[in-house]
Amino acid sequence: MRLAIAAAGFLLSLPALACGYCVEDKIAATYDHAVITRALAAGRHVVFFHVDGAAVGRSALEQAASGRGIEKGSARISPDALTLALVFDPRLVSLVELNAQLDRKLAKHKASFLPLRVMERPADLKTVKR
Amino acid sequence: MKTILLAAVAVPLLAACNPSAPPDAYDVSKMDLKPAPAKVSAERNKGAFAEGAALSMGAELKKLDPSPVKTVRLDTTHRVIEIAPGVKFSAWTFGNQVPGPTVRARVGDRIKFIMTNRSDEPAPVPQLVAAPMMHSMDFHAAMVSPQDKYRSIAPGQTIEFEFTANYPGIFMYHCGTPMILEHIASGMYGAVIVEPRGGYPTKADREYVVIQSEFYVKPSPGKQKVDGAPLYVLDGERLRAAQPTHTVFNGVHNGMVKQPLAAKPGERVRMFVLNVGPSKTSSFHVVGTIFDRVWIEGNPDNQMRGMQTVLLGSSNAAIVEYLIPEEGAYIMVDHHFANASQGAIGLVSTAAKPPAQDLEHHNMPASATPTEPDAVAGKLAFESKCLACHSMGQGKKLGPDLAGVTKQRDTGWLTRWLKSPEEMLKTDQHAKAMLKEYNNIPMPNQSLTDAEIKQFIKYFQWYDAQPAGSVKAQAAGH
Repeated sequence: MRLAIAAAGFLLSLPALACGYCVEDKIAATYDHAVITRALAAGRHVVFFHVDGAAVGRSALEQAASGRGIEKGSARISPDALTLALVFDPRLVSLVELNAQLDRKLAKHKASFLPLRVMERPADLKTVKR
Repeated sequence: MKTILLAAVAVPLLAACNPSAPPDAYDVSKMDLKPAPAKVSAERNKGAFAEGAALSMGAELKKLDPSPVKTVRLDTTHRVIEIAPGVKFSAWTFGNQVPGPTVRARVGDRIKFIMTNRSDEPAPVPQLVAAPMMHSMDFHAAMVSPQDKYRSIAPGQTIEFEFTANYPGIFMYHCGTPMILEHIASGMYGAVIVEPRGGYPTKADREYVVIQSEFYVKPSPGKQKVDGAPLYVLDGERLRAAQPTHTVFNGVHNGMVKQPLAAKPGERVRMFVLNVGPSKTSSFHVVGTIFDRVWIEGNPDNQMRGMQTVLLGSSNAAIVEYLIPEEGAYIMVDHHFANASQGAIGLVSTAAKPPAQDLEHHNMPASATPTEPDAVAGKLAFESKCLACHSMGQGKKLGPDLAGVTKQRDTGWLTRWLKSPEEMLKTDQHAKAMLKEYNNIPMPNQSLTDAEIKQFIKYFQWYDAQPAGSVKAQAAGH
């Protein structure tokens, strides 16, 4: 039930774009092949988040995208697509912990991060189970 | 009055009950509206970029493949293509070509589509192509969930899905990944032709596909070169302002002038015309004939007769059929002549290789071409705007032959002349003498910008620097 509510909330909060509506389109907006290739080769993972809730500017997202386990300089942000991608080290932080860590930073903006897909291997955009 | 009303009701009812009435070609109950879900995998195709018996790779269309199931592969790639002489553009493609191959099917056929995103494959010179990115496929010919079938896939991924062609027509396909404008303007488009279930009502001797599209390019900021020529990349500012640098048929500036489509006198030509855009309309016209039939959107149920021009918005299409009356080269143009002057020109010719003087108001390529971007732009502009009155090395016309002009006049004089010929005619003795020599026909002010004037002069300088005889003379015939 919680998942259904979250999904419905996510769909309703998407920008009213004729295209760019699909999850994969949001991922495309922050997809950086060089960063991803380097990260996966080093055993790190890449996660793509939807920014849910109130409008959040680029600088707030940049500030949020740092902390334990997050690769410095790896954040890719698309304010238009409300998407953030970053590289993290699963040996230092789990995806659930990472999500919670980021959400705490965005709480003051009345927004949160909804993980869309995670890449653990090349050419494999895995749906995040919650 | 009662009788009329009864008749009005009864006639359609009787027609509906008539067992000999033809079946409704658009009976939605017989359409396939429940395609299976798409499949995405990490299985990478390493074979051909485009495969399928239903594919035509160029303007000449293959006959319909009779199989009711068409398996079509169109992989995405990043590569350098030449869109005009000396203009090598960093493109994104379907099937490794621009436009992508044309798919041909019939109403009721099933299209089994497969696509690997191979934008990450090593290019001969990697820094010349765009970084790998996500891509997708949007078939206008399909009736499917975009969120399922048209989803973007990452480099190395493969997507497979199926759909049934429910309606006849010519339909665009394109990459639908944001920013869609950039993906289309970079070359990711093509056509699907769906014939009516019973075929077309006429018999054509020739069938060709003509796809109009725009390019928006600028020299790469890194000044990279391809085989000695500058690399061109997408010009985002021009793209968003809808100011193309090239408007072309089948991917190449004046491409079908160099390689005309063949037809014989008395033959009926069926031309499948798609205007991709992404931002301009097309007024498609063929000089020297009249469209006997026009089927708007490629559907014979949308028929018009005796048309001179067909207007196509972005992603609109039409089948035009016309007769070739006699020997000659029939000129396809976008009758928005600003678009034609950017390269949207082609020929349907009864001769294998028509001579240059068969062209009306247009140009033929030089045997050697400049590579410096300003000179390339100047050459294209000269060929588009000036050949009606001037030649390069073919003697006087309405105005002077401009071969050698930079040896006769310095850059300052040429700049002033191109900027404001009417002022020069009042004050400059050379200008006054020229007016007299050319029957008092003044050079019109072309409202050229400083940048355009610089480009013209760069081209003239390049021309005059070539060894004698190395550049083919240029003149438009009439």
